Amino acid sequence: MKETSSWMAKSGPQGDIVLGTRVRLARNIRSIPFPATAERDQLREVLRLGEEMVPLLKKLGEFSFLKMAEVESLEREVLVEKHLISPRHTENPQNKGVILGKHDEISIMINEEDHIRIQVLEPGLQLEQAWQVANAVDDCFEKNLDYAFDPELGFLTACPTNVGTALRASVMFHLPALKRVNQVNKVLGTVSKFGLTVRGLYGEGSDVWGNIYQLSNQVTMGHSEEETIEYLNGFTEQILHSERQAREYLMEENRKLLTEDQLYRSYGVLTHARSMSSQEAMELLSDLKLGVDLGIIQDIDSDVLKQLIVQIRAAHLQKMMGQPLPAEERDRLRASLVRETLSK
Amino acid sequence: MLCEKCGQNPATVRFVKIENNNKTELHLCQACAQGYTGFAAGFDLPNVLASMFEHPKVRSGSQGGKECPTCKLTMSDIQRAGQLGCSDCYTTFRPEINVLLRRIHGSTNHVGKVPATSHARVRIGREIEEARRRLEECVRTENYEQAAHYRDEIYRLEKELVEKGGTHEGD
Repeated sequence: MKETSSWMAKSGPQGDIVLGTRVRLARNIRSIPFPATAERDQLREVLRLGEEMVPLLKKLGEFSFLKMAEVESLEREVLVEKHLISPRHTENPQNKGVILGKHDEISIMINEEDHIRIQVLEPGLQLEQAWQVANAVDDCFEKNLDYAFDPELGFLTACPTNVGTALRASVMFHLPALKRVNQVNKVLGTVSKFGLTVRGLYGEGSDVWGNIYQLSNQVTMGHSEEETIEYLNGFTEQILHSERQAREYLMEENRKLLTEDQLYRSYGVLTHARSMSSQEAMELLSDLKLGVDLGIIQDIDSDVLKQLIVQIRAAHLQKMMGQPLPAEERDRLRASLVRETLSK
Repeated sequence: MLCEKCGQNPATVRFVKIENNNKTELHLCQACAQGYTGFAAGFDLPNVLASMFEHPKVRSGSQGGKECPTCKLTMSDIQRAGQLGCSDCYTTFRPEINVLLRRIHGSTNHVGKVPATSHARVRIGREIEEARRRLEECVRTENYEQAAHYRDEIYRLEKELVEKGGTHEGD
């Protein structure tokens, strides 16, 4: 397994604001109850069918198949931190599996909430591209599996919030300038009126760490996949525009010094601190990325910062050291990883 | 009743939260409710779903004690889990589910991808395999009358498969 997934290792289109794009499709096999209700041998059958799909995906690239029960628990957490599997996929790993694309750009969870969850991750803003890849994977599966599909309701899923296209498309934004000018809630607070939903990508409870937000469609009926993608793209444009305006505001003549001072202070802490929690690291890295994207701080590679966002997380740190570590030790290690990475 | 959050507008949205058998309700106006569901803060999907199932039309269905023939779940099981048990639940509880879908999506019509013809192809392919297996068995036991029946059946299915635009082997 690679240290950083491709979508977090490099930047893509609109990479100064959009970290990545995610598209997922939920699918179920007709005549087998959804995973939460299915019997053990039915789940085993789904897992077997999933494994059989791997060679059929060949034309889309190289894939590997993992049975969750055979993956070490720390390794499972690393997969969660890379966004390749959901936290719930690590619970009761029996009869759960995941098919992973070579560069972690595709992950297919078997027996999560639905039998099959196809997920595509791309760096930057690439909704159409991600949808096309997910669609191609789906075509491949669809030729060989009898899907639970209703002509009127569409793809049937365990949760009624997903039925229809069963498509969830998400854009991961870094919105530090809107946060600084206190406009994040104003800009994002309206999305639910438009069938969209937003949440922090990192953080506990309602906290949003590092100003990273994930915007997704909520509605899966009454609109086609293409319409959903187009709609989300349109909304994304608006958010990009607002964040860019806020960034310009921060760089106006009378505010520039204050902005520079604040961002350089965060840079200073990152390069000298000896112990750092995840949350603090996320906030400071957010500042540093803003500094780099605004052209204030010039000797740092923006991609390195993006990689650090994933590498500083608990399971990644522990995997790096090859063992579980207590929280204080992780904080120390995190600070030293950040220092070393930024001094290169 | 006024919104419990801003205390200014009339409350039109009710959130029901059930925790350790304690039911708490929150009455919000449209504007506050949007803030309430828009962000991760306080947005707890099973609870929102549970509150959607509280709709009178959905409830009336749950009181009939109807059971899904495939997974044996009842409407109240589904309500508790916030999830359906199997794809047949969508048929069994269609009227209740339709109310729910309209509330969630504002629609009960799928517009979008339809799994090509594979649907039918997969099914027919399986039926052909099954008929072939039975045919072989009949030949082995020298039950030629029955064998002829399966031979005709296979012929019919293969024709249907070609009409659906697929070949059985290797597609």
